[in-house]
Amino acid sequence: MRIVTVTLALLLAACGGAAHAPLIASDVEITRPMPGREMSAGFLVLTNNTGTPVAITRVSSPQFESVEIHETTVTDGIARMRRLDELRVPAHGFTTLERGGKHLMLMRPVDEGNTVTLQFYAGDALQLTYTYTYPTETS
Amino acid sequence: MGPKNLFVAFVLAIALSAGIFLSVRMQSSSESPSAEQSSIFVLPAPSPLPAFALVDQRGEPADETVFDGYWNLVFFGFTHCPDVCPTTLQVLSAAKQELAAAGQSPLPRIVLVSVDPERDTPEVMAAYLAYFGDDNLGLTGSEEEIRKLTGALGIYFDKRPTDGDNYSVDHSAAVLIVDPDGNFYGLVSGPHQVENYVNDLPRVLGSR
Repeated sequence: MRIVTVTLALLLAACGGAAHAPLIASDVEITRPMPGREMSAGFLVLTNNTGTPVAITRVSSPQFESVEIHETTVTDGIARMRRLDELRVPAHGFTTLERGGKHLMLMRPVDEGNTVTLQFYAGDALQLTYTYTYPTETS
Repeated sequence: MGPKNLFVAFVLAIALSAGIFLSVRMQSSSESPSAEQSSIFVLPAPSPLPAFALVDQRGEPADETVFDGYWNLVFFGFTHCPDVCPTTLQVLSAAKQELAAAGQSPLPRIVLVSVDPERDTPEVMAAYLAYFGDDNLGLTGSEEEIRKLTGALGIYFDKRPTDGDNYSVDHSAAVLIVDPDGNFYGLVSGPHQVENYVNDLPRVLGSR
């Protein structure tokens, strides 16, 4: 009976697939590097499905030489941008990277392809890989 | 949870959502702008700008007369800014498009003054501004000359190293309005929203 229960539980967990992945990226938007600029901004929502807070300490991308996490604040009418050492995603919670707030700064693109792959690390552990496809240009 | 408790929880959730929805709706309608609540702060009297010597995005000399003949929406930013600057310029550009579609005449001119003249050369400014529509003006030059303009307009900017050779620039987020006589006329504080410009600019643009 026990074996059946455990097997069923494992099967259910497997069938859950992406919905039960520990860390999920959604609402992803990466701006195209603008003419003359060697930099893009990345916005997304990171959801943590586990009972333990996750601290993303590094983001990388094969399409860019370097990726940093920054936060915009506007206080007393002054816009400032500060680099963040980590992105904390609370247990069973989420963090939003959006215009006017936290965002990824992706610097010096190395190719002109149509996709950007993001790799999110907590320390040395790769927590999540997400590939974004630029929407087709509409003028 | 038993089925009865589940049902009660479900009904409570619906009631809570409806309550929140209604209160948000009521709040936003009581805060909609009226004539007295324009998003544009107009100075008691237009204020002349000091003399300055900058260059525009074609590399042509631009002094304090460069604003003449237009209602100018002037934003102080830099092209290496990934978030606030493109977002603000996008809002201004979208607002201008909406005003144009509504038959507004004259239309305002969008002006970007660089607070990062080291990296923002005329060529860089030209390419960047083209991204936000036509007929925009870019001003850059020496920091000393830029500070003549920002000082008179109460605009703050300061370079902030990030890592290696990289740096960001802290800067005021307001959009300033310079009238067709080249005077400082008013300002709009952030966060910048298309509706505010579309609703409140026509009164300013039509005031003479």
